[in-house]
Amino acid sequence: MPQVLVPTVCPYCAAGCGFFIAVEKERALGIEYMPEHPASEGSLCSKGNAALEILYHPDRLRTPLKRHGDGWARITWEEALDLTARGLGGPLKKYGPNSIGFFASSKCTNEENYLIEKLARVLGSKNVDGCARLCHAPSVVGLNRTLGAAGMTNPIKDLANSKCIFVIGSNLAENHPILSRWIHRAKDSGAVVIVADPRMTHTAWMADVFLQLKPGTDVALLNGLIHVIIKEGLIDREYVAKWTRGYEELAESVRDYTPEKVAEITGILAGDIVRAARSYAISPASVILYSMGITQHTTGTDNVQAIANLALICGHLGREGTGVMPLRGQNNVQGACDMGALADFYPGYRKADDPETIEYFRAAWGVDSVPLGRGLTATEMIDKAGTGEIKAIYIVGEDPANSDPCSQNVRAALDNLEFLVVQDIFMTATAQLADVVLPAAAWAEKEGTYTSTERRVQWSAKAIEPPGSARCDLDIICEIAKRLGAQFNYPDAASVLAEINRVVPQYGGITRPRLDDFGLIWPCPNLNHPGTPILHTQGFKFSEGRATIVPVSYKPAAEDSSWDYPFILTTGRVAVHHNAGSMTRRSPSLLEREPNLFVEINPFDALRLKVADGDEVTVTTPRGETVAYARITERLKKGVAFMPFHFPGTNILTSEVRDPEAMIPEFKVSACKITRRD
Amino acid sequence: MPVYVDISRCIGCRSCEVACKRVHGGSGHVNVHFAGDNASVPVFCHHCEEASCTMACFTQALHKVGERTAFDVEKCTGCGLCRLACPFGVVWTDKIAHKCDLCEGRETPACVLTCPANALSLDFELASRRARARAALVAAHGGRR
Repeated sequence: MPQVLVPTVCPYCAAGCGFFIAVEKERALGIEYMPEHPASEGSLCSKGNAALEILYHPDRLRTPLKRHGDGWARITWEEALDLTARGLGGPLKKYGPNSIGFFASSKCTNEENYLIEKLARVLGSKNVDGCARLCHAPSVVGLNRTLGAAGMTNPIKDLANSKCIFVIGSNLAENHPILSRWIHRAKDSGAVVIVADPRMTHTAWMADVFLQLKPGTDVALLNGLIHVIIKEGLIDREYVAKWTRGYEELAESVRDYTPEKVAEITGILAGDIVRAARSYAISPASVILYSMGITQHTTGTDNVQAIANLALICGHLGREGTGVMPLRGQNNVQGACDMGALADFYPGYRKADDPETIEYFRAAWGVDSVPLGRGLTATEMIDKAGTGEIKAIYIVGEDPANSDPCSQNVRAALDNLEFLVVQDIFMTATAQLADVVLPAAAWAEKEGTYTSTERRVQWSAKAIEPPGSARCDLDIICEIAKRLGAQFNYPDAASVLAEINRVVPQYGGITRPRLDDFGLIWPCPNLNHPGTPILHTQGFKFSEGRATIVPVSYKPAAEDSSWDYPFILTTGRVAVHHNAGSMTRRSPSLLEREPNLFVEINPFDALRLKVADGDEVTVTTPRGETVAYARITERLKKGVAFMPFHFPGTNILTSEVRDPEAMIPEFKVSACKITRRD
Repeated sequence: MPVYVDISRCIGCRSCEVACKRVHGGSGHVNVHFAGDNASVPVFCHHCEEASCTMACFTQALHKVGERTAFDVEKCTGCGLCRLACPFGVVWTDKIAHKCDLCEGRETPACVLTCPANALSLDFELASRRARARAALVAAHGGRR
């Protein structure tokens, strides 16, 4: 039997790299590269290269499971679906629709996210949210408020046209490695690269100017840059006058952020702040790339708004080589947000507290009512599960027991539920707590669309069958919906996409037949529209086409180092792992390259703690303690420690304090102490 | 046809390692070395013009074919002399010798195709143009850019 090459989209980060899976006799045998792909040009990082390893992993869930005493009993699909329908339907009748919650998955397709969100709302529950809450919720709030659209403004390959690339709070060399090829291409034609990060990451290796700031002081730095740009008269007056409102208030609000004062707060040399500000403002086309170093803070929304302000006053938007680029974490986190799998938005970013939205979806979905108002976010649902207000949760493809901060509280809260159903490909820490576990299909075992960080909607074909009796998520959701009395008659992903085309204006023209050649970039409102790679070319989606400048002021992070907890712990990722690690820690060629949880410490601190490289240390925060191997490195300044969050130990430590608007926890700053274990 | 490495571009993501291991059925021939906190470089067979491994190999299992240092499995005795002879430590012997074969049978080696940062290339012109451009910048500005 000949080998068939099936085109697919990488299941890890949101760069949306394409590759081919070589399939022979219904087995995925190998990977072939796709040099024509517009974002990756065929390249793949280590995670992409190892993607097939999880497909045939012995830990894959093959049959539905039911909790049976301390262990698990295998059950039939019929029984599992009935149990799930009863588990969700019981509390629904007894306590009302808002006693149940739904976690959508940024690992699932747009079609599946759309159905989960629709199921929740058709059943009358407002509580549907996803892990987008833990990565880019502030971008959704902050960018919608300032620029009127939440997403990367320019495509990835457009980075090559930029003359100044400002990376803040993103270690893209490790987390979105393919971006570095475009940054190097820009550097080849003379671009300046500025990197701001508390840690001298591999991304900093590309930098001409490296700003090593103290964790949580981003607003101070950004306001400092704005101060210098305004003071030196480097703003784009014409752009500010034509396309923005609120500039005067901004100028007033940054008056005190002199380079000297900012240097004191952030720990960066005043001269470097001035250099960075001039480079960004003077260049003909500058772009800002940011990621979770910006969003995972109590001031996450402020950080995002400060970034938008900086881009707006310099007019670096709406042209080639410019833009504000939030780099999303998971392969479909952009799509999950677009599909309305967020507590505050219906599909297409229609506000949940707007009666017009409700009227629209009531008619579009042909149901009597859909709930009005913002639901509980993912983090709030866990809280309410703990207090008993949420009785049952349906989690699709997520692992909050590992990925949420202060994970021991999350476990206790999930344990408190009357009913928990988890649908996943592996027995994750969250699935361990469930009453029913449903085995789902991995990305290569189902079809559908994924939206990458550059808003590119791509079709991923089915390459192989799921293992055992595992089923694709779309089927499972439809079966559960039918048992709960909702009319979900979707034979395949294409039929759901057809409905998305009707109800999500941005996806209006993104139909199945048009997706064969590397997809389309939304907004694409109709069948003849070529897609919109660059946003804001003709102003913004507000009155008079003007963007809103929202002045923000610096607020310190919720925690600071103290006598008892002398270090600031910040978290992040490494190149060979992805998120909570349920996939990468099961991938042998990735795990062997980074097998253990480590904590990076500055040599000066290590000397004081009498810790040598490779020693086991205990890291303690007010929330708990964890054991890790010490790694002595000058990447960090004195008093700062770093841990990757791919291992279960890290999120035992992280802080639960949240951004008041976006409800994102402050993963990036927790006070900790480190002691040697002997 | 050796592979040129641009150290200034390497981001240490180790995708060449993983890709090499995958296409060679579990035994990889690339190792990414880290120097200090940030610099990294993939190290693998340079396909030397006067390759000491070929000189050490008494059965000519390792031999030159044009620019390439080729390997003939049939002739290998597994003695390990090539491993001792290689000054870069990029020939291994696990029962028989194995080293970079520039992905025989593929148009372009997997490591070159997969490198996210474009740090690996087969194009001498490209590699030398980049190096010259960097040298010019250093001359113009002083210091590393």
